Amino acid sequence: MLTASGLKKRFDRKAPPALDDVSFAVDEGEIYGLLGHNGAGKSTALGIMLGMVYPDAGEIVIGGKSVQREREAALSQVGAIFEAPAFYEYLSGWQNLKVLTAFSGGVDRATMEEVVEWVGLTRRIRHRVGTYSHGMRQRLALAQALLPKPKVLILDEPTDGLDPEGIVEFREQLFELREQSGVTILLSSHLLAEVEQVCDRVAILQAGRKVYEGGTRGLGGEGQLHRIEVESDADREKTRALAAAHSAVPGPGDDLFVLPPDADAATFLAELVKAGVRVKQFVRLESTLEDLYLEVSQIRRERGPESKSPSA
Amino acid sequence: MSLFLKQLGWELFRMFARKRTYIGFGVFVAVELVIYTLLTLDRSERNMERWIERVAGGFDHYFSALTLAFMIVAFTMLLLGAVFVSLVTGDIVAKETEDGNLRLLLVRPVSRFRLLLVKFLACQLYAIALFWFVGLTAFLVGLTERGWGGGMFVWTPELPRVSIFEWNEGLFRYFLAVTAFVIAYLPITGIAFALSCLKIKPAAATIVTIAYILADSILSKIPLPIFEDYQHWFITPKMQSWALLLYQDIPWPRVLESWMWLVGFGVTGFVVGWVIFERRDVKS
Repeated sequence: MLTASGLKKRFDRKAPPALDDVSFAVDEGEIYGLLGHNGAGKSTALGIMLGMVYPDAGEIVIGGKSVQREREAALSQVGAIFEAPAFYEYLSGWQNLKVLTAFSGGVDRATMEEVVEWVGLTRRIRHRVGTYSHGMRQRLALAQALLPKPKVLILDEPTDGLDPEGIVEFREQLFELREQSGVTILLSSHLLAEVEQVCDRVAILQAGRKVYEGGTRGLGGEGQLHRIEVESDADREKTRALAAAHSAVPGPGDDLFVLPPDADAATFLAELVKAGVRVKQFVRLESTLEDLYLEVSQIRRERGPESKSPSA
Repeated sequence: MSLFLKQLGWELFRMFARKRTYIGFGVFVAVELVIYTLLTLDRSERNMERWIERVAGGFDHYFSALTLAFMIVAFTMLLLGAVFVSLVTGDIVAKETEDGNLRLLLVRPVSRFRLLLVKFLACQLYAIALFWFVGLTAFLVGLTERGWGGGMFVWTPELPRVSIFEWNEGLFRYFLAVTAFVIAYLPITGIAFALSCLKIKPAAATIVTIAYILADSILSKIPLPIFEDYQHWFITPKMQSWALLLYQDIPWPRVLESWMWLVGFGVTGFVVGWVIFERRDVKS
């Protein structure tokens, strides 16, 4: 439904690239997360998706239409919140929606009322936006993104500044949206817990590069993620050979291995010792998205900017 | 076309929904009243009387609501016109980009050209509304002071001599000149709009526009041979074309020539602004 291929962007010749050869694909009906710390390149990627930022190289295709070559056709399928939504404060929520939707060809009153009710703003929609709380502004932002009904929703830090109750409500709304209308959702966030609970897959960006793409269950996926630190390179070679024999796969770091879900880790450790491998550390890692994120970030820092992106 | 008009309509609605718009209109009224007070002081009236009696005869006839309204409009526009128009147009893109409003519009399936065209035309319609407002309020002030009827006595530095009209002709010329302010101010909207499309503060767009107009006005008036060959490049003398409509016999070839320059300047400003904005990354 949405494909990003080879995105490159450098805002300043002297500064490092904001995006460096980033590619990913989002399937129809999927909720896909772009993760990364501030300045990782998430907003730049979203800006390119929405035709707000021109890439130096690469292309975004949404529903078969290139944003760079057929911007209007591509964006006619998209609803978006890009960066902090800034409405006209002196207009009511309803008037803001009218102004914005006029640039999408207009939306009939019934549809607008339906969406406003769905986001829970009916009571305050005729009030000036200047009197809205942050949560109400986010609801209005979601409402404008849903008008007219899009096939793809692109949301930049959508829960930023929301209270826990608002975050939970927002999450439920996203699930409901997908269930009801099969909408494809791409969201960026630096809130790992949120992404873990909402997204089917994630891409982690760091310093403009994609350093991970895969499920949100962590590096190990369904398997058991272990950190196995050994004494020497020879020991590491032996470990790899034995791991392969146990159907374990290496993780993105030299010391990370994913054992199959039903593997007996104690037996594997015993075999390593029996084979003469000097094991310094053998630890089962709790593989949450946070671990994954921190692990991948750590690996990235250790390897430096020229390293290849590991993919799951 | 109907969609374009709908977008233009909502843009105008947005502009006129701002409190600031009415504060601006209020400032114009305040200045008009100050000028009216100054023009109707005993000493000012005596001077006007002497002048009108000497040139046209019949002070009571020619010092009419129209004459008073014309003087109020001319002075008010001289003092505030350029500042206010550049303020509104300089804001239109730069302020919305800075505030982030434009981000919400640009994620919509609309070309940047269309979005800018809607905003530029909205500025022009806003200017028409403003100039007519100034013209009408000045006329009302004149009516309150001098009542309906009489003649019209006109002079500006651009006119070779005074013009005098009877009521109906004067009324027509007065509102024709007021409407022509829109074309006269096109260079200002053009420059302010082009600057507004750059990545600069809204205030900077306004200040640079006013500085340009001021420099153009001063340089065009310096009687040095060095500027003789460049006179046609100065835009402010052409902006006085509204006054040509108050000639006893309107010099249409001169008016049209000036209008072509002014429209060309305004359209060039829009195109330059569009080219700049089309190539820009819009991201905070």
